[in-house]
Amino acid sequence: MAYQGGGGHDLGHDPSTALYHDSPGNTVTCRTGAHNICMVSDFFYPNMGGVESHIYQLSQCLIERGHKVIVVTHAYGTRKGVRYLTKGLKVYYLPLRVMYNQSTATTLFHSLPLLRYIFVRERVTIIHSHSSFSAMAHDALFHAKTMGLRTVFTDHSLFGFADVSSVLTNKLLTVSLCDTNHIICVSYTSKENTVLRATLNPEIVSVIPNAVDPTDFTPDPFRRHDSIITIVIVSRLVYRKGTDLLSGIIPELCQKYKDLNFIIGGEGPKRIILEEVRERYQLHDRVRLLGALEHKDVRNVLVQGHIFLNTSLTEAFCMAIVEAASCGLQVVSTRVGGIPEVLPDNLIILCEPSVKSLCEGLEKAISQLKSGALPAPEKIHNIVKTFYTWRNVAERTEKVYNRVAGETVLSMDKRLERLISRCGPVTGYIFALLAVFNFLFLTFLRWMTPDSYIDVAIDATGPKGAWTHQYPYSRKRGKNNEMPQTR
Amino acid sequence: MEDELSFSDIYGGRLALQRRYYSPSCREFCLSCPRLSLRSLTSVTCTVWLAAYGLFTLCENSMILSAAIFITLLGLLGYLHFVKIDQETLLIIDSLGIQLTSSYASGKESTTFIEMGKVKDVIINEAIYMQKVIYYLCILLNDPADPHGISQVVPVFQDCLTAVTLPWRASLWCSSCLLLDGDHGICTD
Repeated sequence: MAYQGGGGHDLGHDPSTALYHDSPGNTVTCRTGAHNICMVSDFFYPNMGGVESHIYQLSQCLIERGHKVIVVTHAYGTRKGVRYLTKGLKVYYLPLRVMYNQSTATTLFHSLPLLRYIFVRERVTIIHSHSSFSAMAHDALFHAKTMGLRTVFTDHSLFGFADVSSVLTNKLLTVSLCDTNHIICVSYTSKENTVLRATLNPEIVSVIPNAVDPTDFTPDPFRRHDSIITIVIVSRLVYRKGTDLLSGIIPELCQKYKDLNFIIGGEGPKRIILEEVRERYQLHDRVRLLGALEHKDVRNVLVQGHIFLNTSLTEAFCMAIVEAASCGLQVVSTRVGGIPEVLPDNLIILCEPSVKSLCEGLEKAISQLKSGALPAPEKIHNIVKTFYTWRNVAERTEKVYNRVAGETVLSMDKRLERLISRCGPVTGYIFALLAVFNFLFLTFLRWMTPDSYIDVAIDATGPKGAWTHQYPYSRKRGKNNEMPQTR
Repeated sequence: MEDELSFSDIYGGRLALQRRYYSPSCREFCLSCPRLSLRSLTSVTCTVWLAAYGLFTLCENSMILSAAIFITLLGLLGYLHFVKIDQETLLIIDSLGIQLTSSYASGKESTTFIEMGKVKDVIINEAIYMQKVIYYLCILLNDPADPHGISQVVPVFQDCLTAVTLPWRASLWCSSCLLLDGDHGICTD
């Protein structure tokens, strides 16, 4: 959207002087309080998913706390150029080629001119990259270190160590993270995994969990039938999520309790097993398979049940059980990965990942439900909604930023030394050489277009933010959104 | 009344901006781009000629040398006539409209006139241009079919891409003269 003047902020000033007052090298004032943060990831809206909403929600809360936040991602179809989202969150959709699975191709160099231009014009002080699958995130870390900016990386996923693809990704991650200032993981299990994969010093890895928007997951007791007991399962139907366990549990419990129903949301290769079970035991009216669910429909499925069952065999941070608890369901889950960290003992029944143990856990939950010992859904919701809020995530991320802002960035020679010493004899030297090339390329770019030629962008958010709320979302502002942004 | 300001373009060159106030409802901007420098002219000519001589030594055909002469001359003529813009003028007359004039180095002029009724707004936009991100001034045109729609975006000063301050000032100027509806949040300069 086009920028239309600075609202009431610049009244009475000469706009040109107002702009250049705070232009060169005034980052010192920013260091004390507000930061200029640049979130980089290949994954952002209009693409949908966990990382995308994480970046968006975190940015919104950081803006609320007075920081300047911009997001850099690659162009999605016709959505390219510069856009503004709610509260003046500025998003750069860069015209970089998408290679595979919404991730851009990486050559480590071709994105430098544009990224450097953006980092300079926005006076960015901290680069925050997201997701280890995103090539652009790694590119940005690499360039930011060459430019002497501070770097933070958030890892959103767990990885294996055994197969070829994870060996390669782990090597890349080692290289990318060995000189990054700080790393954020979503649970302690994920931290352990990342530290091992990237051979990091655990002290520079923080744990900040994901959050749930509690207003999206509210209980609705009138949607469920209290004459029968409904168990809800929402997960992808794959081996990793324990669908095989589920096929053992369903017939056993259905024979024991005549008033028990199952609702299963999700799709996957193991769906056939559940259909077989349903066929063999004639449970068509008691086991409903809903197929793939959109994220917005999950709440409507959850509120129909009394008990939520999670049978995962491995999990970094299980968002599904938080969402279920927020909807007021009693949660029964396997004790694997990061799950025991997620909810307090009185809200969750933890079992071993076996059919027997899970059946015992479910029977315990059913007997509690029948005796009326379970707390009301509204009460559970009120407890859970205080656990994982985006404001809390933003507060903790801010502490990481404050810490990083006080650290020094490795100089070029130290960085090369670290790359060579940490990343193995072959990879270390290759990437040290690439780092040198990157530095030479940056020097060339600085000679072609000195930093002083690049004009400073007008801040939409942050201490000098020009984004104002005084205009209603009128025709003008609404229409300009749809304008072509690139030429 | 007339004043002159100096700005830099995105490549670091100098631009001179003249503002002429004819009357409260009629103003003019005149943006002069840097002249064709002898250095760039010499370097381009030298490159073409060196390449031509290189080819000549390889195939020893004097046609190449004559071709090089023609290429240089025609290239220069074409550049001056179609590409190189010396001056861009933005004449704003309230109640009539906006006239955009570009004068090329060869003396050719091209003029576009936009009636006041078609002008919806004058705004500053931000775009990715080559390996840069720039601000530019543009005029939004009304869509006759849809009263709230925009039919076209006309960029102004597109051949002398300028640093942020210029579109900023120009936008202030245009809107203060055109008396566009007041929700710009722009102060009068």
